[in-house]
Amino acid sequence: MSARLAGAARRAAGALRFSRFELKIALALVIAATLPLLGALLLAGRVAEENLSLGLDPRVVQRLEGIPSLYGDLFQARKQLYAEQARALARGLPRNRSAANAYLASSLERTPRLRRVTWFGRDGRIIAEAETETPNPEGEWREAPARVALPRGGRLECVFAIEARFFAEVNEARELAELVQGVDVLRSEIRRSYVRAFGVLLVAWAAGAAAVGIWLARRTTRRLSALLLAVRRLAAGDLNVQVDPGRGTDEVAGLARAFNAMVREVRESRDRIVYLEKISGWQEVARRLAHEIKNPLTPMKLAFQQLEARWKTSPARASDAGFEQLLGDAGEIVREEIGTLQRLVDEFSGFAKLPEVRPEPADLGEFADEFLRTSPQIREAADVELVRASGACPVALDKALMRRVLANLASNAVEAARPGRASVHLGVSRTRDRAVLTVSDEGPGVDRALRARIFDPYFTTKGSGTGLGLAIVKKIVLQHGGEIEAGERPGGGASFTIALPLRATGPDAPGAPAPR
Amino acid sequence: MTARVALAVALAVGAIAPRPVRAAAPEPLPARLAGRGGELFASVDLSAVFAPSLERQLGNGLTNVVAVWVAIVPEGGGEAVALYGRVVEILFDVWEETYTVVVKDARAPGGARTVLRDFAALRRFLSDERDLDMGLVSELPSGRFVVEARVEVNPVSKEQLQRTREYIANPPATGRPGGSGGSRSFLGAVASFLLREPDPGTGVHRLRSRPFARAEVAAR
Ligand SMILES: Nc1ncnc2c1ncn2[C@@H]1O[C@H](COP(=O)(O)OP(=O)(O)O)[C@@H](O)[C@H]1O
Ligand SMILES: [Mg+2]
Repeated sequence: MSARLAGAARRAAGALRFSRFELKIALALVIAATLPLLGALLLAGRVAEENLSLGLDPRVVQRLEGIPSLYGDLFQARKQLYAEQARALARGLPRNRSAANAYLASSLERTPRLRRVTWFGRDGRIIAEAETETPNPEGEWREAPARVALPRGGRLECVFAIEARFFAEVNEARELAELVQGVDVLRSEIRRSYVRAFGVLLVAWAAGAAAVGIWLARRTTRRLSALLLAVRRLAAGDLNVQVDPGRGTDEVAGLARAFNAMVREVRESRDRIVYLEKISGWQEVARRLAHEIKNPLTPMKLAFQQLEARWKTSPARASDAGFEQLLGDAGEIVREEIGTLQRLVDEFSGFAKLPEVRPEPADLGEFADEFLRTSPQIREAADVELVRASGACPVALDKALMRRVLANLASNAVEAARPGRASVHLGVSRTRDRAVLTVSDEGPGVDRALRARIFDPYFTTKGSGTGLGLAIVKKIVLQHGGEIEAGERPGGGASFTIALPLRATGPDAPGAPAPR
Repeated sequence: MTARVALAVALAVGAIAPRPVRAAAPEPLPARLAGRGGELFASVDLSAVFAPSLERQLGNGLTNVVAVWVAIVPEGGGEAVALYGRVVEILFDVWEETYTVVVKDARAPGGARTVLRDFAALRRFLSDERDLDMGLVSELPSGRFVVEARVEVNPVSKEQLQRTREYIANPPATGRPGGSGGSRSFLGAVASFLLREPDPGTGVHRLRSRPFARAEVAAR
């Protein structure tokens, strides 16, 4: 658990560790993204200032602030007007009570906005009054009282209407003025806050650009780092190293592919050299062995022949039928074993004296065809079919040696199928730069664990095998500049794939590759 | 009540915290201190700040705010040992021609409302800060101390700041006659978030009393 956490933490730290290359690209992007914006930042302050002063013209602010006072003046004027009208009413008020009632009632019609008028006596009792029922022509209203003391005692109280909307308007104007005043007081702070906001957005923008830059850079640098690592491993002697070129088609992907191809080639030629060196060592062993075994064989054969000849003419022959029998059996055994040894010696020396490859231009398909036509013994021992998947497969071949390759592979297939009859499939095809020859059978196949060793000399799983067949095959193939690989035939059986370099067929192409 | 608690309460009133101001020589502050039942009460006269010429401003029909801070400070300077703060909102009613005053302090955080007849009454009300609760006499410094007052006329209040923020974030829709409210602006929203209180401007007054000794207070 904690180990997994630690692993995750390490990965996170790795993701945050930026290479210099990444930082450079990110920096370039940030500069490219923010440089114009920095200029804009300088302008932003001015724009904010100008906008504010457009919206907040000091004259407008002053006027707004003055509005409540204007209403105050309006109210003042109304109050004076109402007081004046009340005084005028008082002056014309008759002493007689019923006349006063009529006077007050008519004054309601004469005096605009007068809603109610009341005459209070000296003792505070109501002497006369009148009130209008008609709606105020100016809409909703509030009461505006005006009192006049009468010279003969008592008072006249008038209630005038003042438009209710004035109060709503003055409140609205006050709120607006207070808001604008606040904004005006904060003007320079607002400008600063706009610049700050712009700065914050700029930083966010730059951070975004950097993130994108690092992300883009990382896609390339990750592959470059992988390449660098691979080169280091190659330098340390690891020839199995490969890098993932990805699906891209850019230079980095091309570099990765070229690197992979180079490493593959180096590894193959090294393998080839190693194998050929090993083989030539074994060839020397085989030559000595063949020599050591071959030398005593003839004296052994001769000595036994002398023994038999002597016995044929011996007088004891007639009387000793038992010995006659024994000698016959022994002769058979000795001759057979000597024959086996002779074959072994032949094979050993055949392996030891494997001739140099002398390739000549040929077509691989035609060669395979010809091999089958001229090898009746193989067609006798097995059912053979040839599939030529592609047209021309120009290669450079030493036909005699290549025939041995095919013969060895075919005889292995025949042996693997025993006691049944073998089915051998030959196939010829080509890839972009290789001609491919496959020899497969329907036998038990080669154990996966053994595949690495079957090409070693003297490796055999057969009682009477020499283990030389595939060693010879591989040596010949390698000397043609090709490769051989053991695999599995789909549907069961062994499959050997030989890939040979295609011969350039242009008019000025070099004929055959130099023998290796 | 300690200075700290008083400060905390005053802050909770949602008004204005005292901010450092550029040092200028303070005006003289007539002040009286009295100890009653172990508690200290200060009375100060701020009439120097509220000159008659302020009538135009305070009577303009807009809400005016006066923030008053009274503190007891050791004579040699240092941290205030007692602090009293109040915020007064003044609105002149252009119809009634009276001043409506709302006082917010630690005792009445919600505000206590008074209606004053005229500017003279308002001036008396603002200048004559009587019996301000300055905590316990026993907390007075042993050395000499002074009473300091700081008066800000129309400081930028939190509400005002808030209103301005909303104004910036939703600027009035220009070019859209009759467009109600405003349009949401991203830059404005960020800017409103980054809007700070301004430095206290010109409407700040600092006053300082003569030095007092502790014995003077306790004697009364
Ligand atoms: N077609 C095949 N099917 C199965 N096994 C095979 C086939 N060809 C080769 N082998 C295995 O490879 C071993 C080596 O083959 P080879 O070098 O020809 O030596 P030998 O035939 O003398 O055993 C064989 O002993 C066998 O185990
Ligand atoms: Mg063999």
